[in-house]
Amino acid sequence: MAADREYPGTPLSDDDVSQGKVLMVKIDPNARYAWDAGIAIGRFLAELKKGRIVGRRCHRCRRTMVPPRMFCEECFRPTDEWVYLEDSGRVNTYSVSYLRWDASRLEEPTIPAVIEIDGASKGMGIMHLLGGVKPEDVQMGMRVKAVWKPARQREGSILDIRYFRPY
Amino acid sequence: MGSPEQISQVEDIRYVYGEIPVNFAYTLGVAGERFFREIMENGRFMGTRCQQCEYTYLPPRLYCERCFAGLDDQWVEVSSRGTVEAFTVAHLDLEGQPLAEPQLLALIQLEGADGLLVHRLGQIEAEDVDIGLLVRAVFRPRRQRKGSILDIRYFRPVAP
Repeated sequence: MAADREYPGTPLSDDDVSQGKVLMVKIDPNARYAWDAGIAIGRFLAELKKGRIVGRRCHRCRRTMVPPRMFCEECFRPTDEWVYLEDSGRVNTYSVSYLRWDASRLEEPTIPAVIEIDGASKGMGIMHLLGGVKPEDVQMGMRVKAVWKPARQREGSILDIRYFRPY
Repeated sequence: MGSPEQISQVEDIRYVYGEIPVNFAYTLGVAGERFFREIMENGRFMGTRCQQCEYTYLPPRLYCERCFAGLDDQWVEVSSRGTVEAFTVAHLDLEGQPLAEPQLLALIQLEGADGLLVHRLGQIEAEDVDIGLLVRAVFRPRRQRKGSILDIRYFRPVAP
């Protein structure tokens, strides 16, 4: 098997690195960034801080979109009005993840899901986490409701909603 | 068709701030390890030479880039004196912020080497630097050396 083959080279052990037996250059670049949310997501985030989910309606195709956008991708025209939506909905799809964003292992899995928000058009939803439910009990179509952070802890982030729980 | 909405309140959330932790450790490899240990412990430059190609690598390479010959037993000492082959004056730091003092950066060919080193120039003003200028490495005191390229403070001009 290829896996048993020895390749030429000079491997390093964990000790070589952790005990500083070899010279190395440690680099910690400043990778801070500011992401411009734009008008629609800017308002969406500002409303999350107030404990509300807001969408955007197009009068031509009559769709209510969430996350909101200022331009209708089906009609090629600006969208028309802001509409407040419920903070409940249905699980459109979900996954059970044992990895963090940096691919390190999680003991307890997270359950990322797309949640169709009540008041928005069918299929319109946001990505979030499910909580208060075991992975094996989650079903597509299940009704869920947002669990919000206390108002003082909200900062205009998608994480102002802790997770969605069965409801 | 412009956007139908104007930003009317400056407290509107427009930016989402984030930070990606991307710290890493770069190990130097066999040739780089020896190169920097020699600088740190002995205050000298060691390169590797390919006899076949008549080329001395500095920084050293473990294999000849021209003929792929192994060079791990072909170490040669190289002078700490050399000539400026190219230079520039930096006014901004790595993040684009103005530097308090402009820095002189140069490509330096050490005597006995064919490769080039990038380093700082010191004890000289920008208007006095010329291609072909003779320079010598100024090492930090032994105790302050860490096995880094900054174990050399800079290269200073020397009389021909």
